[in-house]
Amino acid sequence: MKEHDLPLRAIGLTKHFGGQAVLDRIDFDLSAGECVAWRGDNGSGKTTLLRCLAGLTRPTSGEVEWFGRRIDGDPAVRRFLGMSAHESRLYPQLTLRENLLFAARMYRVPQPAQRVDALLAEVGLAAHSGRHPSQVSRGMGQRVTLARAVIHHPRVLLLDEPFAGLDEEGARWLWQTLTAMRAGGCAVCLTTHEQPAACQIADRVCELRSARLNEMETDVASRRGDVHVSVFPARKAV
Amino acid sequence: MFADCCRIIHKDLVSEFRSRRAWPAMLLVGVVAALVFSLQMDLLPHEKPRLVGGLLWVSVFLAGAAVIERSVAGERDDGCWDGLRMMPIAPGALYVAKLAVNFLALLALGCLLLPLYFLLSDLPLLSHVRALASVALPACLGLAAVGTLAAALSAGNGRSGSLLLLVAMPLVFPVILAAAECTRLAAEDRFDDAWWRWMQLLWAFAIVFVTAGTLLFDYAIEE
Repeated sequence: MKEHDLPLRAIGLTKHFGGQAVLDRIDFDLSAGECVAWRGDNGSGKTTLLRCLAGLTRPTSGEVEWFGRRIDGDPAVRRFLGMSAHESRLYPQLTLRENLLFAARMYRVPQPAQRVDALLAEVGLAAHSGRHPSQVSRGMGQRVTLARAVIHHPRVLLLDEPFAGLDEEGARWLWQTLTAMRAGGCAVCLTTHEQPAACQIADRVCELRSARLNEMETDVASRRGDVHVSVFPARKAV
Repeated sequence: MFADCCRIIHKDLVSEFRSRRAWPAMLLVGVVAALVFSLQMDLLPHEKPRLVGGLLWVSVFLAGAAVIERSVAGERDDGCWDGLRMMPIAPGALYVAKLAVNFLALLALGCLLLPLYFLLSDLPLLSHVRALASVALPACLGLAAVGTLAAALSAGNGRSGSLLLLVAMPLVFPVILAAAECTRLAAEDRFDDAWWRWMQLLWAFAIVFVTAGTLLFDYAIEE
């Protein structure tokens, strides 16, 4: 991996389902420390795009590169990627702590037990670490899912509707975590249904419509949250 | 890779131990199949040594299909399979981990069914325990290898149960045939050249299927 390589690049990404194009020749770059929000209606292809970028769905044509390497070439490159999706991705028979510990060990996190305990404390679930996913609320589960996505300090983070289901405290934690990770050079892609927090944290906002990704008008102030991207109502900084 | 495989195996065994979902069903189906087949064998008492091997290994595969199917389909719940695929582990290693768990399950099933068939058929199966154990190892490995690959294929299509048997059955036929012949020859106390040839064939099938599964698993799990 070279330092000048872009963390994430999609070239001519196309995905057809049953002959219908969900993604049509999408070109997309993501620089280190950058945050991009994608918005779009239900079924517009946001999740498919995320899955293609993550290597979970093979595109019909086009390529995805992480740090200059083809996504399907080397499994080791996945160590740099974190992702959270609609599903919890938590094993129902394992406790919350065991779920995180399994992920930490698979990603070869140094001192996994300490990292897991610290992360559980950060998300406010230290007291519930012995519970199973079915024994906690959806919001708590979402916090653990997000904790699992960042447990290995990824350099690219793909988040599908990350603020969905989070209460104020959880959203604040996520906001702070994303801000800190971006300061450390982590690139972030997130999808949104116009959540204020998601749009305020993004450097760029793109809209996925008719299988094409269109960058929307932004200004510097939007990053601070004073004024915002044209399609979103103006709002105050958090 | 070895450590990653061990972690996945440990996770799968802990999950199964806590849920007790697939293994009890497998053992139950195995016992029921053994009872039904042994009743059928009683209709042909002189043919028992010829029949027992085939029925034993068909029972192992049919009963084991429940565990094999769950080994991949169970991961699909709550998107866990995606989480696993995102980890820095080669698809081949993932296959080996799933294969190992399925192999252990089939071996446990074989350990239950072999004495059961011995009791129900009155054949001297247990007097050749070592020979039958040497048959069980490649037979379970071959069945698990084919089953795991087929389970990945069928889980990707969202028709786990039915498609698993449909895809796996033609492929496991040579394994079941070779294992059945080895068991029959052992039951007839014939450890001659024919027994060795079937054993070699059984190992060859097992090795080919494990290799093919390791290489093809990445394509099998693709959506």
